[in-house]
Amino acid sequence: MGLVARAVETAGIATVCIVGLRDIAERVRPPRSVHLKWPFGHPLGEPDNQVQQLHVIHYALKALYTVKEPGTILDPGWRWRREIYTEPSDWAMP
Amino acid sequence: MFEADRLRQRVSRAYGRLLSHIPMLARRWGRRFAAITGEVVPFVPLRKPLHTCRLAFVTTGGVHLRSQPRFDMGDSRGDPSFRVIPAATPADQLTITHDYYDHRNAERDLNILFPLALGRELVSQGVLGSLGTSYSFMGHIEPPHVETLLRHTAPAVARHLRQEQVDAVLLTPA
Repeated sequence: MGLVARAVETAGIATVCIVGLRDIAERVRPPRSVHLKWPFGHPLGEPDNQVQQLHVIHYALKALYTVKEPGTILDPGWRWRREIYTEPSDWAMP
Repeated sequence: MFEADRLRQRVSRAYGRLLSHIPMLARRWGRRFAAITGEVVPFVPLRKPLHTCRLAFVTTGGVHLRSQPRFDMGDSRGDPSFRVIPAATPADQLTITHDYYDHRNAERDLNILFPLALGRELVSQGVLGSLGTSYSFMGHIEPPHVETLLRHTAPAVARHLRQEQVDAVLLTPA
């Protein structure tokens, strides 16, 4: 996935990746990554938990504006099934 | 399908489920994965406000339209092709072909992997300007198919996104 992100960014389009394995992201170096140590198949969270999914999407889109250093990997540190999420209220970016 | 292929497919599906449920095993797989190392990192700042942006999704989770050809699970080195997913595609027209992870939850609620429906909702709320066409790959690509991905299919997707004037892309793995 990181390789595709790099190709897209090379074409002049900003990208942000959700990554589950930090090791791979550190080697492939996508332009911007959000690292979530969650089970495979659940990059944006649990099924039917729309608040959590929006929370992750909001965080990732925000990274499109806040990350200034190419190759940055953000670690929000959200634990799997042990966090309480709130629906993002402010989507105005930047 | 030959008996040996069927057996191999059953083994890889079982292994995929194990990787999905045992994080330690998944991380060990990640450390051993022969990832291509990127020296220079391409980087373009996003300057347009989000509410004017056209966003597209790219996943490597093996999502495709039910009417499209499945990804090739017969080749253990993977399948570097991609599928074009129109932004208006309803979730019930999409399915997943990917033996290397447990996608039962994603098939129940595709927003956890490929959030087209949530993206459309954000457009209707005025959070995003619009959605572009999205794209899907089947991750788990090994040589010699990595070359095909690097030289042909990933740049082709990048070109399509560019032609459609997409401003930003959110990528999600399997």
